[in-house]
Amino acid sequence: MINVLFFGPVADRVGAAVLQLEHRQGWSVKDLRGELAQRYPEAFDIACFTAVDGAHVRDLGRTLDDGSEVAFMAKFSGG
Amino acid sequence: MHKAVRIQYEDFSTDDEIEALRATSKRIGGIGLFLGCARDFSEGREVSEIDFDAYDRMALSELSALRDEAIARFGLMGARIVHRVGTVTSGENIVLIVTGAEHRAAALDACRWIIDELKERVPIWKKEITPEGDSWVVPHP
Repeated sequence: MINVLFFGPVADRVGAAVLQLEHRQGWSVKDLRGELAQRYPEAFDIACFTAVDGAHVRDLGRTLDDGSEVAFMAKFSGG
Repeated sequence: MHKAVRIQYEDFSTDDEIEALRATSKRIGGIGLFLGCARDFSEGREVSEIDFDAYDRMALSELSALRDEAIARFGLMGARIVHRVGTVTSGENIVLIVTGAEHRAAALDACRWIIDELKERVPIWKKEITPEGDSWVVPHP
């Protein structure tokens, strides 16, 4: 299982804060993003940062392990 | 004593954080402080409240890394960072950064560096609540 997290403006556009998807062997962050972007195009218009298991990920080719936690995030606006 | 880096719903005391910092070392000769507050006006609209959402565990990890980097980069004796989440009413505190160094320049430079980096690196988002409706804030450059 892969837990996908959304926060703030991205969560609003998805209409959920968490999605759970079955893990697929060899699935990459890019594959996951592509599938979700088709389902939630407005959310992924503003999702410019990605994290896996709580750490920034810049290599979207990274393969996802079963049990991974993936967050697709908009630009930050804290402070 | 509270931890040096925190994300919390409740308000914080600037006096308590300064005292906690001072207690870490008597070599501190200067303390820099940044206090971010909720404004009641933004982009031409009245703002009654701000709602903060955060990726808690990542935000805490990034804030801790920021503190460690600032201590190393500016030679600080210590630093504390507290950021609120949830609903913050106009006029209330949002974020506090206190930095302690032997001299003022390092303390002030570190404080400015931490708040600038926080805005770029820490996964927290704010939504302004106004009479005309709610809107997520688009970051300023």
